Amino acid sequence: MIVRIKYSKTAAGRFLSHLDLLRTFERIFRRAGLPLAFSEGFNPHPKISYGSALAVGVTSDGEYLDVEFTEELPLTDMMKRLKEVSPPGLEVLELRSLDTRGKSLTAVINMARYCVRVPLRQALSQSRLDEVISRVISEPELIIDRERKTGKTEIDIKKGIYALEGCIQEGMLVLEMDVQTGSEGNVRPEEILELIRKFGNIDMEESLRIHRQGLYIRDNPLVRSPW
Amino acid sequence: MVDVCQIIENEILPKVTKPLRYVGNEYNVIKKDWTSVKLRSLFAFPDIYEVGMSHLGLRILYHLVNEQPEYLMERVFAPWPDMEEALRKRNIPLFGLESYHPMCEYDCIGFTLQYEMSYTNILNMLDIGQIPLKSADRGDDFPLVIAGGPCASNPEPLADYIDLFVLGEGEEVILEIFRSMAAHRGKRGGRQDKPALIQELASIEGIYVPAFYEPVYDERNRLKKIVPKEKAVTPRVSKRVLRDFDKAYFPTEPIVPYMEVIHDRIMLEVQRGCSRGCRFCQAGMIYRPVRERSPEVLLEQADRLAFETGYNEISLTSLSTSDYSCVEPLIKELLERYSKQKIGISLPSLRVDSFSVNLAAEIQRVRKTGLTFAPEAGTQRLRDVINKGVTEENLIEVASVAFEAGWNQIKLYFMMGLPTETMEDLDGIADLAYKVLRKGSEIQKRQGRSKQLKITVSVASFVPKAHTPFQWEAQDTRELLRTKQQYLKDKIRDRRIVYNYHESEVSFLEAVFAKGGRELGQVLHAAWQRGCKFDGWSEHFLYTAWIQAFADVGIDPAAIANQAGSFEDVLPWEHIDFGISKEYLWQERQRAYEAAKTGDCRFGACSACGVCQGLDVETVLILEGEKLNDC
Ligand code: SF4
Repeated sequence: MIVRIKYSKTAAGRFLSHLDLLRTFERIFRRAGLPLAFSEGFNPHPKISYGSALAVGVTSDGEYLDVEFTEELPLTDMMKRLKEVSPPGLEVLELRSLDTRGKSLTAVINMARYCVRVPLRQALSQSRLDEVISRVISEPELIIDRERKTGKTEIDIKKGIYALEGCIQEGMLVLEMDVQTGSEGNVRPEEILELIRKFGNIDMEESLRIHRQGLYIRDNPLVRSPW
Repeated sequence: MVDVCQIIENEILPKVTKPLRYVGNEYNVIKKDWTSVKLRSLFAFPDIYEVGMSHLGLRILYHLVNEQPEYLMERVFAPWPDMEEALRKRNIPLFGLESYHPMCEYDCIGFTLQYEMSYTNILNMLDIGQIPLKSADRGDDFPLVIAGGPCASNPEPLADYIDLFVLGEGEEVILEIFRSMAAHRGKRGGRQDKPALIQELASIEGIYVPAFYEPVYDERNRLKKIVPKEKAVTPRVSKRVLRDFDKAYFPTEPIVPYMEVIHDRIMLEVQRGCSRGCRFCQAGMIYRPVRERSPEVLLEQADRLAFETGYNEISLTSLSTSDYSCVEPLIKELLERYSKQKIGISLPSLRVDSFSVNLAAEIQRVRKTGLTFAPEAGTQRLRDVINKGVTEENLIEVASVAFEAGWNQIKLYFMMGLPTETMEDLDGIADLAYKVLRKGSEIQKRQGRSKQLKITVSVASFVPKAHTPFQWEAQDTRELLRTKQQYLKDKIRDRRIVYNYHESEVSFLEAVFAKGGRELGQVLHAAWQRGCKFDGWSEHFLYTAWIQAFADVGIDPAAIANQAGSFEDVLPWEHIDFGISKEYLWQERQRAYEAAKTGDCRFGACSACGVCQGLDVETVLILEGEKLNDC
């Protein structure tokens, strides 16, 4: 049986790297006593596939993975067991049994929704913020530098920004955005924050919190969840 | 408190490397209410998280203490320099991972001494924890600082900094210490009167209070005697030892780290101690006698551990697991139980015999990682000197079995600079490596395989250690070690043989701290002030700073490391009793020079090392007596 799991990465678990996450989930399934299915060969691996990797430090309410078990089990029972053995950093939210393997999560997920919060060092009005945001989205191209193993490269992230809104809450700049993710291209929330900072010349603190609200399948103009 | 947590989590952790080292909310972590316990203790590991969390002693003590409702134990590891800088910049003291309390707020801090090169980290951690370094400078308001572990067998270099040392097996004594401390505080409304407390604790067997003993030097600055002061309870302090290993506490719900640590698996401790009697090996002497755990107990622990942790590997740990009486039936049973769940079994060290390789072949389906063997010396003569019961035939045989079974990589561990070593012995190392290689090619050719062979030859420099027959030995000078390293390098000229050796500077300092006495306390301080820390990490090791530190206090390190001693010499650990008699060690040293072998008391007669007689314990083997049927 193949099960799709929706889980969250909480504040306690936000420093887990993708590799830490893989290790931890295998152990969760083992502790839950669920009959993992393994790949063939000398060095068998559990059959678990993940949605888009989450950057270290980012929390999320909508992550997905598909896992295969060798036996059919009732989902309510499974849910109960998983909850009992999950560490503080990860929380299993929902389970769904998949009839067929279908396309992998990484192949279909192509959009992420983020919320970024950063304390401001200066006063900022809503109208000024709106103005900065509309300037950013009306640019024909948005070139940013990205560190690659081979060195710095310039890329245009304009096409990967689908929506961008902002507001001010208690001296905090809060940005909500829909951006591209997956194999076709990736836009990082910090990059958008940096554009806002630069365009508006806004003075903000260095500490920021990034939260991924969800992962989606975007088939313009339709957006649906991988659930 | 809350503020500090916020700053750590929101400002510091996102910017340091591997933030999970400092998070401390792993699965099975124990967080207790700070105010409702009688005693708050902190286990301090003077190296990074990944190293410390791989340490079995930490797992045992942490869970043993936390299972007692009236005490709590939290953890702290040495912060990596980026973290240290972030904390110092904001004046945040180093904290325990569970509750983020500053180190200085605990009642008791226990450092584990696993290797000499971690000593500067102890000073540094106390300092970041805002605790005075010297025992004498810590008043009643500061935690009691204790230390234990193998290096407590020569505690003297740390005598200025540690209030008391625990000698021997910590799980045997820690609750006694805590009971005493809690009672002491109970009588004083939660406060401590340190001098009185230390005096009370000194009467517990296995507790050594360095301030109660005074080294006296002669006019040539050599140690003349160690005088117990009036407060001293006994002239010599003996180690504590577990008698019943089956009944000894072992945690079955250990912390499961999120991040990868060095030993990221279930550790089943099949036995304590080793009596092979290798004459350079400190662990082989100080953990005597051998005490095995019965397979029933181990299987039950394995079951619980697999279920509670979710690890996919079980490692059978001990100093020499192939020697465990029931190793074969145990492995068989474990394979039977866990292969379906794809839980692997591993052996950390292999004895050089075909029995061991066959075991490895049975459990290790994937031949990717190589097999490791430790012949330790290149010629039969020198192997007899060190009492390593391995012959060339043994080695070639295990290599053959390994190559036949499909392995392509073999690692060989040797030591350089052993007593009586000559260049011929080094030739022997190269020789052995070539013979193993030739055997490998021969077998590969016959089997029609073409995978590249790799023989790794790792050569460590011999470090004389306290409580071993070689405790009187001189280490080769650094110049000589370097010459020998180069000599061997020139001998090994096949690209299928990889030759590794340790920096002689590090080995030199290890020898100084392994052999030296209380005078080294000042050197340690001077080195720390000059920025030395993480000395075991080559990227942080500052040899010049160390040499300057020795000069600062006017101590010649070579006089400690490179000079041999005689039986009459007073050793800095003369008053520290790990059970093995000085006479026995000296006799073993004599036998070494005659290249005479001494048998293993596990398989043959007792060689009267003194442990069993002196500490009233005995070797426990599962095959003995009524337990015979269990296997
Ligand atoms: S006293 Fe005898 S039996 Fe006991 S550890 Fe020493 S040599 Fe072995």
